[in-house]
Amino acid sequence: MIKKLKIQIIVVLFLMSFLFGGFVNVAQTVKAAQNNATTVENDNVFRVGMEAGYPPFNWTQQDDSNGGVRIAGNEEFAGGYDVEIAKIIAEQLGKELVIVKTEWDGLVPALQSGKIDAIIAGMSPTAERKETIDFSDIYYKSDLVMVVLKGGAYEEATSIHDFSGAKVTAQLNTFHYSVIDQINGVLKQTAMDNFTAMRVALQSGIIDGYVSERPEGVSASAKNKNFAMIEFSEGFVTNEEDTAISVGVAKNSELTGKINEILAGVSQEERQQLMDEAIKNQPGTDTEQSSISWVVSILKENGPMFVRGAGMTLLISMVGTILGFLLGLIVGVIKTIPVPVKKARRVLQRIVHALLAIYVEVFRGTPMIVQAMVIYYGSALAFGIHMNPVGAAIFIVSINTGAYMSEIIRGGILSIDKGQYEAAQAIGMNHFQTMCNVVLPQAIRNILPATGNEFVINIKDTSVLNVIAVTELYFQTKSVAGNNFRYFESFFVACVIYFVMTFTVTRILRYLEKRLDGPANYSMNQMQV
Amino acid sequence: MEKIIEVQHLSKSFGTHEVLKDIDFTVKSGEVVCIIGSSGSGKSTLLRCINLLEQPTGGKIIYKGENILDDKHDIYQYRTKLGMVFQQFNLFNNHNVLSNCVVGQVKILKRTQKEAEEVAMKFLKIVGMDQYIKAKPKQLSGGQKQRVAIARALSMEPDVLLFDEPTSALDPEMVGEVLKVMKELADNGLTMLVVTHEMGFAKEVSDRVVFMDQGVIVEEGSPEQIFQNPTQERTKEFLKRTLPELA
Ligand SMILES: Nc1ncnc2c1ncn2[C@@H]1O[C@H](COP(=O)(O)OP(=O)(O)OP(=O)(O)O)[C@@H](O)[C@H]1O
Ligand SMILES: [Mg+2]
Repeated sequence: MIKKLKIQIIVVLFLMSFLFGGFVNVAQTVKAAQNNATTVENDNVFRVGMEAGYPPFNWTQQDDSNGGVRIAGNEEFAGGYDVEIAKIIAEQLGKELVIVKTEWDGLVPALQSGKIDAIIAGMSPTAERKETIDFSDIYYKSDLVMVVLKGGAYEEATSIHDFSGAKVTAQLNTFHYSVIDQINGVLKQTAMDNFTAMRVALQSGIIDGYVSERPEGVSASAKNKNFAMIEFSEGFVTNEEDTAISVGVAKNSELTGKINEILAGVSQEERQQLMDEAIKNQPGTDTEQSSISWVVSILKENGPMFVRGAGMTLLISMVGTILGFLLGLIVGVIKTIPVPVKKARRVLQRIVHALLAIYVEVFRGTPMIVQAMVIYYGSALAFGIHMNPVGAAIFIVSINTGAYMSEIIRGGILSIDKGQYEAAQAIGMNHFQTMCNVVLPQAIRNILPATGNEFVINIKDTSVLNVIAVTELYFQTKSVAGNNFRYFESFFVACVIYFVMTFTVTRILRYLEKRLDGPANYSMNQMQV
Repeated sequence: MEKIIEVQHLSKSFGTHEVLKDIDFTVKSGEVVCIIGSSGSGKSTLLRCINLLEQPTGGKIIYKGENILDDKHDIYQYRTKLGMVFQQFNLFNNHNVLSNCVVGQVKILKRTQKEAEEVAMKFLKIVGMDQYIKAKPKQLSGGQKQRVAIARALSMEPDVLLFDEPTSALDPEMVGEVLKVMKELADNGLTMLVVTHEMGFAKEVSDRVVFMDQGVIVEEGSPEQIFQNPTQERTKEFLKRTLPELA
């Protein structure tokens, strides 16, 4: 029996080692991220935030070719027009350039909370944004275009009003989305988070077109043979501040003036040349391949990115689940302590219970993505505490899991027969000893399936943590897809990886349950006969 | 004989419901005392008050000359001196047979694992369960479970063993094996306080029988006295109901 067990353990370890392969890298990443955290006060760096997933302005690549710059706390590099501009600015400021890869919605909070010095991410200086941050002079100006399906009903459009009756959308929180209202009779769709999502929607026919800017349109139609870019003769009415692109800086920063000076030194020709090069260099191949060979080449080219993303996802969800479990255990146990006889202690217990109830209700009652934003950016804004993103992610997942687990554990404890407590007390155990030796082992065994559930949920839910600049699997996949424009294939790979992770975890826990239950039959103790 | 436990004016109420009223009685070393009485008369409550699974509302419980209801008294230490065997066995489901008998010794009496196992094996042998040490409670029959529960209580080497209807949850064919063990223990001079509906056992094994009704001790005396010459009307009625063959 023991031998069989050993073999099982080896198989499980082998399976896991595949997944944990990414851990070594993750460990380095975490270390790197910590280094970054300490450089927040360092004056010799120029920290620039961007999505690294919006070619030709910015994208993610595997090496430093074509002037790519290493992304902070990460094994990958960023390239594109924005990166070239950032390099020029950093050089003339006499500072070292640090690229911080951050989800679009996390950029402004990151700037406000001082996690980055500037946003160079193809961002337009809109009036709304100007209320919270300042902008430099314009460093690129482009026209609005529409990206549609090649051979579709709208390929020949010349006026925006040709899109009457069409399903059109644009990126959330951009002026692209508000100008859609200028089209008569348009079917304005819900705004989408990012270009990757819109391209997927377009390809699958969910939308007829999305509003974009010329450089993105050029590259989208160049890279994906199914897309065409419409340049309007009768186009959208736009403000200069909208079509223009500027560097975002913190309010009243002294950087603004310096950046303006530097930008003034970059001529119109030089800018156009940089943009042309960016469009030419952006990643992705135009070769026509079948989906299967695409999957293969995506794996070949971006394999390390996926593994690192998966490792990060696993690290956060595993540590988060374990810490959350312990937290839930403590809270659950405290909640089931019997009402004390002494009055003072009863009052104390009431207070503690009320605090715990608040904790549980707040964290169960709000989405994790919102908590992430509040905790990560809020702590920096309000208290000047700069958490390292991975640490913050683990923290958020842990307290979330803790809130759920505490109720599960409480239920598990309550499900244990009163006779078990009485028998333990009758031989002289106090409450703590009763819990440790009798009640909790049984309760934990009973709630193991629910714990596995939490773990699986965490693996999937960490995908929202990219808003605080954690490059987990979903974020990595979005970058890959944003670069190669093969959405279905890239997300298919991610899908398989997620499934392998959750499936392995479920199996391991099932195995653990069996171990805890012990053998189905007992053997007689022959020696004692 | 030395008094082990002395209960004085003990009372217990659940809310306004007075379940025990002014109970006085003692258990002496080496004695086997059986408590009989109709259902709801407060037998279990008395037993549970004695080892403080229920907090008495009034009175005293004197153990070795000290009132253990005093605030300062260490009730955990006191409980190790009283073994308890429950109607529903209440074996620790997460421990196997041996471990059920070992865990208390190691965690509370601070014996070493080896010592504890030796003690446990000694008592498991006495109850005839030494071959089943690896079994989990759910793999045992009711009679086997109760014998393990007795061994678990004995392993703590208490001064007195309390039994609350140890055979009431058993199928009739298993009652015998448990009673046999209990009789052996009694013969070996163990002090026992037994709540039971097994009148045969009470008659044969006990040194003293206590009859309870509606929260008071109505009558107590030797088995012969109680079963053959009860002085109280209520005792006579109870015996007529439970032992019609005597009438
Ligand atoms: N936790 C409790 N709360 C309220 N009333 C209780 C509680 N425990 C027992 N009682 C009441 O106390 C009285 C005595 O109960 P007890 O269990 O001591 O009787 P018993 O003599 O052991 O009866 P049986 O032979 O059926 O076991 C009963 O009326 C019962 O309803
Ligand atoms: Mg009872």
